[in-house]
Amino acid sequence: MGNFDGDSGTVFEQSYATTNGNGKLANGNGAASFSPPEKEELLSQRKFSAPAYTEIRTRRCHSKPTNDAKSPSLINYHPEKKSTSNGHASALSESKPNQAEGKLSPAEEHRQKTSFEEVPLHTACLTYLGFYLLMILGYINQLLFVPKVATEKGRDGYVTLYDAFESFYSRYVYRRIKDCWNRPICSVPGEELTLKDRVTDDYGWSFKFTGTETRCLNLGSYNYLGFAAATGRCADESEESARQSGLAFCSSRCELGDNEQLRELEAQTARYFGVEDAIVFGMGFATNALNLPSLLGPNSLVISDEKNHASIILGLRLSGATTKVFKHNNMRDLERVLRQGICHGNPKRGGQPWDKVMILVEGIFSMEGSIVRLPEVIALKKKYKAYLYLDEAHSVGAMGSRGRGVTDYFNVDPKEVDILMGTFTKSFGSAGGYLAGSKKLIDFLRTNSHAHCYAASISPPIAQQILTSMKTIMGEDGTDIGRKKIHQLARNTRYFRRRLAQLGVITYGHEDSPVVPMLVYLFSKIGAVVRTLTTRHIAAVGAGFPATPIMEGRIRFCLSAAHTKEQLDFALEAIDEIADDLGLKYSRKPRDPNPVVY
Amino acid sequence: MMNLKQLASHAYRQYELVTCINMLEPWEKKLINGFFLIMLSLVIFSSFMYLPDYLQTLLQFVTPPTWYNSSPEGAAYAAQKMARS
Repeated sequence: MGNFDGDSGTVFEQSYATTNGNGKLANGNGAASFSPPEKEELLSQRKFSAPAYTEIRTRRCHSKPTNDAKSPSLINYHPEKKSTSNGHASALSESKPNQAEGKLSPAEEHRQKTSFEEVPLHTACLTYLGFYLLMILGYINQLLFVPKVATEKGRDGYVTLYDAFESFYSRYVYRRIKDCWNRPICSVPGEELTLKDRVTDDYGWSFKFTGTETRCLNLGSYNYLGFAAATGRCADESEESARQSGLAFCSSRCELGDNEQLRELEAQTARYFGVEDAIVFGMGFATNALNLPSLLGPNSLVISDEKNHASIILGLRLSGATTKVFKHNNMRDLERVLRQGICHGNPKRGGQPWDKVMILVEGIFSMEGSIVRLPEVIALKKKYKAYLYLDEAHSVGAMGSRGRGVTDYFNVDPKEVDILMGTFTKSFGSAGGYLAGSKKLIDFLRTNSHAHCYAASISPPIAQQILTSMKTIMGEDGTDIGRKKIHQLARNTRYFRRRLAQLGVITYGHEDSPVVPMLVYLFSKIGAVVRTLTTRHIAAVGAGFPATPIMEGRIRFCLSAAHTKEQLDFALEAIDEIADDLGLKYSRKPRDPNPVVY
Repeated sequence: MMNLKQLASHAYRQYELVTCINMLEPWEKKLINGFFLIMLSLVIFSSFMYLPDYLQTLLQFVTPPTWYNSSPEGAAYAAQKMARS
């Protein structure tokens, strides 16, 4: 009883393709939006009454009968609003440009746009109690049963390899909701994806594939601009590039891996950000982890945000620099830490001045959904003569009216940021990372960076994907697809965040950031929400301890320019019901009673 | 009737969620639910058996003695109580 075998699958695919053509800006099919609304309603009903959307084939014990919940007539797809929402040309002028208006002071603007609502006290207590219960049960389990894992043999006298809190945690706490993570997919992770269903008979120790698939709305990929697609210009040119230049150079940039395409990519990247030069690497994580050690030494001071990504933390540890952490996005604390560090000097060298002082922040913090307060950080950096390293892994492409990251969003000259770092993995739908800045800095990195000297260079099709998508964003391909995508993402973000706030769930972060963490707090609710969303054909990512603090379990939605209003409404309605069902409406803020305009 | 059933199932789901019971294996669920039931029944039993007496003694301790002085029966009761103890 597969979802996709036989006729039903092809019907679904066809209907899906037709609706796709109507709503998508990528196809530029403007004429289709003038078709009569009845036809569109029929199409959307066909799409969501197709087998993949009504039949639940995921987990046996947690699946709910969906017929009562979402028969096609109940799906609120706003057919009456559809004709207006699809007219992109008219809607573009209505939508607010996604940039700082410059009317308020940066601090005031940050206060108005960013929300970190306090956790209700009883929820905090219950979260800790539940966690204690899980830990106690885990210890009882470990005491009573031999875990079904590999054990070390014949290693008497050696230090044990596996015996640590982490392995206990992953075996007895994480295992219980392990099915919500690392779910295999078998399609391109565009605006929708196909999950490969799996079941577990032994409560998470092992998984078996059922052979069925679930088509889900994808709210979990960092596909901000929707360039991850199996068709379209990017895919075609990447394929062409693979046919011409092969798949890999099997060598590093310093040896035989250097080529014209990568030099073009670097020049293009530098032009994209409006800086002198740029250097690209084949892996985003390594861009941070391997370049920070070449920039920093033991006599350097690094002021790092507490929510910085693991790759930054690893890079700082490898560099041996003294790291001081300031509270997340708190400029007063940043100034305090910075001043103290500079005043006291290096304590390991008797208070001698530091070689370098560097402030390390991210553009969009991926777990918090907040945006760095860049104008204030730059002011502080100038005041204390520090360097600024800005990790734009999530913000490049997703922020700013031209999609050039937070510098564009805040209308800051990119040359005021000393080191611009980012990845091609997210908005560009490819892989790899870059560092951009002055010519001097990049030349220094070309000679000193481990990732440049020893790692293999970027594969040609992957580099081509970056090049094509970058040109599309910049409008160098002669179309305005890139601009439309950026606007679509901004509108999706504002709409989704406002609707969520209206539902009464707690979301974190800045109202313009496309990463939307929805707080569920309790460990058990992460699993329950992810599973229930899967049965409603929505794929979202849960995050709990240790990725977040123990108390702040959350579901993270990542919006994309590929999503349409109809898809977002579909998701929001499911979230509304789930939030009622599982008790996620924690917010005590007043709710906006007016309907949110897309 | 249907409504009541739904309400009960909703309440039980909330209880399962806030105590993380929905993540557990069946035997663990039984253990924890049994533990909670035993605790609950003990609390109810003790509150019916012992709480009235305790409360009475406590009330006697906290009530000001002037109340007894105003009424002769109260004073007599207090004297009787003290003599007994």
